[in-house]
Amino acid sequence: MNIIETQNLTKTYGDFTAVSHLNLHIRKGRVYGFLGPNGAGKSTTMKMFLGLTHPTKGSFQIDGKTYPADRVPILKEIGSFIEAPAFYGNLTGEENLEIIRKILGLPKSSVSDALELVGLTQFRKRLAKKYSLGMKQRLGLAGALIGRPPILILDEPTNGLDPVGIHEIRTLIKSLPQQYDCTVLVSSHLLPEVELMADDIGILNHGRLLFEGTMEELKTNARCAGLPTDNLEDTFLAMIDEDNRKGGAGK
Amino acid sequence: MTLRLETKKLKRTRYFPAFLAGGLLAAAFPLINMLVRSESFTALPGEPFTILMDANWQMMAMLNILVCICGACMMYHTEYADNGAQKMDVLPVRAGKLFLTKFVVNALALALMIILETAALTWCAVHWFSGYEFDALELLQGAGFQWFVTLPTVMLMLVIASACKNMWVSLGIGVVLVFTMCIFPQDNLILSLCPFSSPYQTLAMAAESSRVPLFLGVCAAEVVVLGLLGLVYQKIRRCAE
Repeated sequence: MNIIETQNLTKTYGDFTAVSHLNLHIRKGRVYGFLGPNGAGKSTTMKMFLGLTHPTKGSFQIDGKTYPADRVPILKEIGSFIEAPAFYGNLTGEENLEIIRKILGLPKSSVSDALELVGLTQFRKRLAKKYSLGMKQRLGLAGALIGRPPILILDEPTNGLDPVGIHEIRTLIKSLPQQYDCTVLVSSHLLPEVELMADDIGILNHGRLLFEGTMEELKTNARCAGLPTDNLEDTFLAMIDEDNRKGGAGK
Repeated sequence: MTLRLETKKLKRTRYFPAFLAGGLLAAAFPLINMLVRSESFTALPGEPFTILMDANWQMMAMLNILVCICGACMMYHTEYADNGAQKMDVLPVRAGKLFLTKFVVNALALALMIILETAALTWCAVHWFSGYEFDALELLQGAGFQWFVTLPTVMLMLVIASACKNMWVSLGIGVVLVFTMCIFPQDNLILSLCPFSSPYQTLAMAAESSRVPLFLGVCAAEVVVLGLLGLVYQKIRRCAE
């Protein structure tokens, strides 16, 4: 069963097409890795799911709900982290999560639960503006994870984290579907990271979906097309290069 | 709940101390004025409270406007500085509701300032004008009028602050508007009804020309129109990020 589905989702800014006729199928309870070079349209797609930008054409359903009619019910089901951590610098980490908790109508224990999940418990009383970059990133993640939402949309969640932090967050994301029965849509530039945590993959280039399927299907497809299959990075680079040569860049 | 949340967001921003300090400063103005030259005022014919309002309100209203400008700028600076507004946009809460709650917080903080100022003016009237007996209802009506005619300014400033991610831009626009409206003649009816100008009107001045209902009606309409403008802008802003 697909928890997120898009039909010909398109977003244009003037004569620039950021996302073009995208048909995504994100299955429930899976980690979906969203890959693509800078400017491929990953963040734009995620922003459309969150109602931060309107689609120019096409539609999407999240857990059977349609945007824009069900924007607020959709947002109730999604925990998100888009581009950069978003918080109130004048408040402590705990106070920031408390605001989100109250808006979502969650129990008080959800704040400590989220802090524990991202390893910020001991820094909960510190002002968010005094957090290090990695801690801000963790606070952003805690804001997405609070209340254990059924859908998580994470845009570059490991940016700014040290290798230990990256490993922790990767392990956490990978464990979420089993632990909390949630679906994760995660974008990352770190291809080995995606390879390690994603069950399904979507590759985007110049707003168009080049591939969608499991890691095994990607390897089979790449083998058939004569592309390298040693690791995701090589396959991804070859795929993007071929698409650019075919004229994807000339769109 | 939203009111509590919006108040909580202002923690450690010195928003409430700013309003308190502004209120105390404005309240100190008539006291100092009376301490320095009480004879000039006690010798004047007329209602003591009206004399004091005529002598001090222009400066007090300007302080009120300046503090309201700072308040609106602080509110939205808190939202934009670390992308807090973006987080709110992806939560199941209407941006318009948050905007209106911010207006309520600002309006309540302004009410606190005006109460302090009215108390100071009343104290001056009782202390320096022998035989003056204050009428609580009259004072309440006066304070309520001053509060109400300042609300369009509060709303407009909030719309401006919400539109500017850089606090200094909204602060600059606010200050420019204060001084621009100051240079226009106060006896021009149309101009005196505009935001940034209407707060200078006192109840006595408006009552003298039988314009109290006009001021209240126009200010209410301005608040509604500017509020709708703010609500529409919040929707556009969310989708234009």
